[in-house]
Amino acid sequence: MPKEIRVNAFALQSPVHHSPGLWRHPEDRSLDYTKLAYWTDLAKILERGKFDALFIADSMAANDVFGGSYHAALAVGAQIPKLDPIVSVSAMAFVTEHLGFGITSNALYEPPFPFARRMSTLDHLTKGRIGWNIVTGHTVSGARAVGQTLTPHDQRYDMADEYLDAVYALWEASWEDDAVQRNSARHIFADPNKVHKIIHRGTHFQFEGLHLAEPSPQRTPVLFQAGASTRGRAFAARHAECIFVSGPTPQVIAPVVSDTRRRAAALGRDPKDLLFFSMATVIVGATAAEAAAKLQDYRRYINPQAALILFSGWTGIDFSKFDLDAPIQFDGRSDGLISALESFSIADPNRVWTVRELAEHNAIGGRGPVFVGDPGQVADQITAWVNATDVDGLNLSYAITPAGFEDFGKYVVPELQRRGRFKHEYAPGTLRQKLYGAERGRLQDNHPAAARRFAKTCSQADDLSEHR
Amino acid sequence: MTNEIRLNAFVGMSPVHLSPGLWAHPRNRALNYKDLTYWTDLAVLLERGKFDTLFIADSLGVYDVYGANAHAAIRAGAQLPKHDPLMLVSAMAHVTEHLGFAISASTSHEIPAVLARRFSSLDHLTAGRIGWNVVTGFSESGAKAVGRDGVIPHDARYDRAEEFLGITYKLWEQSWQAGSLIRDPASGIFADPTKVHRVQHEGPFFQLETIHLTEPSPQRTPFLLQAGASPRGRRFAAAHAEAVLVGGPTQAAVAARVRDIREQAVRLGRKANDIAIFALATAIVGRSRAEAQAKHADYLAYVDPEGAVALFSGWTGIDFSGFELDAKLPRDLRDNAVQSILQSFTSADPTREWTLREVIEHNAIGGEGPLLVGTAAEVADELQNWVVETGIDGFNLSYAVIPETFTDFVDLVIPELQRRGAYKADYRPGTLRAKFQGSDALKPSHPGAATRPVALTRH
Repeated sequence: MPKEIRVNAFALQSPVHHSPGLWRHPEDRSLDYTKLAYWTDLAKILERGKFDALFIADSMAANDVFGGSYHAALAVGAQIPKLDPIVSVSAMAFVTEHLGFGITSNALYEPPFPFARRMSTLDHLTKGRIGWNIVTGHTVSGARAVGQTLTPHDQRYDMADEYLDAVYALWEASWEDDAVQRNSARHIFADPNKVHKIIHRGTHFQFEGLHLAEPSPQRTPVLFQAGASTRGRAFAARHAECIFVSGPTPQVIAPVVSDTRRRAAALGRDPKDLLFFSMATVIVGATAAEAAAKLQDYRRYINPQAALILFSGWTGIDFSKFDLDAPIQFDGRSDGLISALESFSIADPNRVWTVRELAEHNAIGGRGPVFVGDPGQVADQITAWVNATDVDGLNLSYAITPAGFEDFGKYVVPELQRRGRFKHEYAPGTLRQKLYGAERGRLQDNHPAAARRFAKTCSQADDLSEHR
Repeated sequence: MTNEIRLNAFVGMSPVHLSPGLWAHPRNRALNYKDLTYWTDLAVLLERGKFDTLFIADSLGVYDVYGANAHAAIRAGAQLPKHDPLMLVSAMAHVTEHLGFAISASTSHEIPAVLARRFSSLDHLTAGRIGWNVVTGFSESGAKAVGRDGVIPHDARYDRAEEFLGITYKLWEQSWQAGSLIRDPASGIFADPTKVHRVQHEGPFFQLETIHLTEPSPQRTPFLLQAGASPRGRRFAAAHAEAVLVGGPTQAAVAARVRDIREQAVRLGRKANDIAIFALATAIVGRSRAEAQAKHADYLAYVDPEGAVALFSGWTGIDFSGFELDAKLPRDLRDNAVQSILQSFTSADPTREWTLREVIEHNAIGGEGPLLVGTAAEVADELQNWVVETGIDGFNLSYAVIPETFTDFVDLVIPELQRRGAYKADYRPGTLRAKFQGSDALKPSHPGAATRPVALTRH
């Protein structure tokens, strides 16, 4: 049986995500990104379309690479300004029942203890629908905003490894499963002998305390990650459940997917437990002509220079300095998002990209492909992409919002359902159960979080157990 | 000055806030504190009662001073677990139109640019109804949770808080000049970058360099609340706070603090009534006095004294497990935690001495504030009397049983206060600050507004 195709909606709480300039389109609601109703409306649209999750990117960066200043990005709203997505979740959870939320938070910027509590709080409020997109921050401006200097690329992942072990201990080990008693007759809320202090004394992080949240439906949130560099893949293979990949051609994506699955298998995980979501944008109409007309209409509003501004921010390379018709070359030196640069240079040996081609390509939907056509044609392109890359689904970007998501739910979802490739109803339970099945509410025993569980690391005799 | 009484509902995101043991009462929904509908229902109720804000206390600390461990607090659920209240706000904003949200966050634990953006985000999403209760974090356990060896000494915490606020004011008030947002589809220009300034800061506690990542929100600076009632805390509140929370068991204890805060504000160039002052109180109200008293007696059957003394030990930093229950508390008892709470029961009211047993009995329902029991008219009399005698603007209302205590207050006391012209008939329009002060922006005499607008640094 062909596997079900999963779809997340990909967003940023900013006037621009991956289609700069399109906020000028009369049907686009991007500029409403500061309004709560925009997000609650979007969540309802996505749940109607049975999207698996709303995946919200984030960073503390004010993109200042292009031209050496944030002016270029800010003038066109290119991913600045942006809101902190984590505070919008509870409203979207209130108006939905099944939609998951994959929220980005930086493992190097916020201390592990309060972050772990924040995610547990949201896991309770959403009844187990929260996911965490683990990022490590690739920009100088983001690091400076939090009083740091930019940590070199590979070291960021070393720090994140330690951070994850620390938050796993809080989520998995601090409260035993039967710690909370809620015994009103005996006035016992929880059994103090079953609640344990976590002491973390690491290279990069230190803390000591009981996890402040009682065990939530998923305990550890569903773990999203987007690292596609070599070190990033090693990290994803160890920790991630859902992996976000992006690239313009299947040839860029497929090796990342197969290599990461292979690495996961080498670590004792089932390679199929890693769910890959490939960035893509869909422009669909009732007919091919209608879709083509939409694309033509959207392209009137694109801003290719802004696409280069975004690309400069991801890679740390100032593309304002390059001849538009020069081929893009990668010499291996970057502390930015290495994989983004690789996508348009060495990842596909059959394709040489010029700066101009990159700008035009990325103007709608960023680094991912754009699938255009009637529902059947788009479904064909999606299934071909999935088959060619071995991804599990799409991280769906948009040209205009929320119309891009509405169109997908209206046209593409029924077509994929007819083909047996898309769910007819949400599965019950938490986000993890929806992704992996009812019996898989907790992370598998072969996941590193499981190693932090109480029974495996603590002796019952200890009053306050130490985790080092 | 008006005689309108202001009201906040005072809660924590825990099974117990200030009334340990009461979660076991059959009508108490406190154990649902982790569920979204518990909070959205509460927000709807409070808006029906035209409360000014829902005030949610928070900290990263646990109550582990009593007996030198957290056992009593864990067993009692006494502010443990304690979930992150900032995560609740957008859902409650979705089901209300006017209710404000005052949320605690600590200048000892947070990162200035991250906090500034999070509050700006909520100010947008709530259409200007967010308030920040600026806390400095008094517990050893909270300090250790963020990797410190121990709590920052009391006065140094406030120095850090001053620096933190100075940074966030720059981010909120100065980074984006008025007129910086263009949003012009014709030109494709979203913002004028020459009007958006990078904040650069190098100080003893913090350094950063960034523009504010969010565009100006309805209030820019969130409505600022503060609860420090120690001398240093009061000086800080007098300088920065737009609303101050005070607590104390007697009018004498509260009145002295209110007077001092207002006098200090005036010395700093602000008006005495620029600061709305709220006193902690709990009301148990019935349709008759007998009904109220019966309710009170019923609640008392659920009180958890050990939970109450665990909280009191945490607030004061003093392990009371070794204290004689019936001995008078020494007037010169000192600590490094919430100095004001200890003083409430020692030096603040020269006419009253307290034993530990009396403190526990007093604090068991609603903490250190007064407990008012009676009919709507009797409770309204008491509230008005407190306002007159202490110079406060209103109350931070705690609860015995939730939502019952608030439902009773909304159904019985609010109409009584309205009949007396002592409570608003309806909300004022606009942001939380506009509802309090008539304007979305910080008053010109406020330190956050003092240097606005100015081009800070090179772009």
